[in-house]
Amino acid sequence: MRRAKAFSPTIILSYAVLLLGAFFVIYPFFYMVNNSVKTGQEIMHSPTALPEKIVFTGYTGVFDELDVMLLFKNSVFLAGSITVLNTIFSALAAYAFAKIPFPGRDKIFGFMLLTMMIPGVLFLIPTYVLMYRIGWVGHFEALIVPSIVSVFNIFLIRQFMSGIPDELVEAARIDGAGEMVIFTRIILPLARPALATVAILTFMGSWNDFFGPLLYLNRPEQWTLQLGLLQFRGTVPGENAQQIWALTTIITVPIVVVYFFIQEQFVKAFANVSLSK
Amino acid sequence: MSAIAAESQNSIASVSAKRHTTLLHRMRRNWWGYVFVSPWIILYIVFGIYPLILSFFLTFFNYSFVNPENRQFVGIGNWVRGIEDPLFWKAIFNIVLNQSVFIFLKNGLGLLIASLLFNIKFGGRLLRTVYFLPVITSTVVLMTIGDNLASPGGPIQKYLIDLHLLDGPFFWKSEETWPMIVIALINTWKWFGISTVILLAGMYSIDARLYEAAAVDGANGWQMFTYITLPTLRPQLFFLLVVDVINGLQMFGEVFSIGFNVYGGINNQALTPVLYLYAQAFDRSNVGFASTLGLLLAYIIAALTFLQFKFFRTNEN
Repeated sequence: MRRAKAFSPTIILSYAVLLLGAFFVIYPFFYMVNNSVKTGQEIMHSPTALPEKIVFTGYTGVFDELDVMLLFKNSVFLAGSITVLNTIFSALAAYAFAKIPFPGRDKIFGFMLLTMMIPGVLFLIPTYVLMYRIGWVGHFEALIVPSIVSVFNIFLIRQFMSGIPDELVEAARIDGAGEMVIFTRIILPLARPALATVAILTFMGSWNDFFGPLLYLNRPEQWTLQLGLLQFRGTVPGENAQQIWALTTIITVPIVVVYFFIQEQFVKAFANVSLSK
Repeated sequence: MSAIAAESQNSIASVSAKRHTTLLHRMRRNWWGYVFVSPWIILYIVFGIYPLILSFFLTFFNYSFVNPENRQFVGIGNWVRGIEDPLFWKAIFNIVLNQSVFIFLKNGLGLLIASLLFNIKFGGRLLRTVYFLPVITSTVVLMTIGDNLASPGGPIQKYLIDLHLLDGPFFWKSEETWPMIVIALINTWKWFGISTVILLAGMYSIDARLYEAAAVDGANGWQMFTYITLPTLRPQLFFLLVVDVINGLQMFGEVFSIGFNVYGGINNQALTPVLYLYAQAFDRSNVGFASTLGLLLAYIIAALTFLQFKFFRTNEN
């Protein structure tokens, strides 16, 4: 047995290394929050020191310089609509692949998995050309519509739905229930863990994404938080450095709060991803 | 895998049961299936297959976003230009350097932390939560912090100077190779939590009796690690490697968000292939050439993935 004695030297050494690792992981976040409540002068002279006096000029300043509420609203709108749409449409497709024996199903599913192997870089330019032609550059549609459904999410949900007994679905069909009813009344409630996983991963991905918005949202009133930070960072003079740290803190806090509430799901989501391969 | 096997057995069974029904009949009976799958099919035709064909088509033209009507056929000119372009190969060199450091450190650290977490009884979940914080944080935020910590005059350099490990401020951003190494280190900090979680899940699935038997035979911890843990973790390590190579070779947002321009700095010291493609398409409006660079990179990625499957996956089920 490896996991035995509680206080052997190996265990003590393990804890020492793990805690040191935890320190290195947390410190940069501490550094960020710590500097967000200092003055720019203090940050310049002693970036690692604790604040002499906690000030909120960083937060008030960044709200003066930048329409943070608008950035926040854009980020929530973008990540929220992508997450909701993607979870619904991926679940629909996943249900069909798992429980409706339509001819050609396995072939389509196999093809779909193959498309996951194609590197995303190939789509970058031609998709932009396409968006340019249909006039979506500069519109949220360019980011939302292609993200309505994704192979990866279909795959994850389908793996989960395959575990739901067929008899349950068959029985409902014999009772005359339509596919839409079966999906909403039987399948969706049972698949909640998988839906949560997919929703979490999708929300995190689009909340943190900056490249899509950088390509397609070129008017400042459409900017997301990430884009706002990217543009704002270069314009801030050194004596106002606390504003940058305030903004990074504002961006990070929502996702960390969500994470702490459902961290078990979060971590499982990533472990599932590899196990289902 | 077993799920898929069961699935296909299922469909074989259903096929033989319904042999008397015609294909059309079965299609009509299950038409909801097509309805539910259609959003993906439509989207993939519009935003997948069409762009792929367009991408290949564009490689034979000089084409610009500004006046797309004015495209000019250049044959395989873009391909020749791409293969002969020293900047493209410099970008490839940079990314290979960056990813070698990153993949080694990220998975090595993940393996170390996972083995330690596997050893302990209390606090494992809390620690795992902490290690996962950078994974969920955005790249722009992490690069902003990392850039500041590592900057000349920043805390890390000050500390190294105090320890006499560094003579004076080190302007790594304008050096060759250093930007790629610093970015690899920051990315290791961001992503090692994923390797940890995936490898830890793998360790928990190992049969405990293997370790018991080894202990009876007098094996020490290190021997158990190299003869039991590592070989059983092969699928997980393989998965991590394949995904890391595919994603890693396309890395560029990090370079951008740590403050380099689209050419990766004055001497292109931080240029990566996708960044170069981006610069060609959106700064120089060489859309056809940029498309070609994308396809060249995709071929390189495909070749590397193929090699990994050939050499690392041989003696596994």
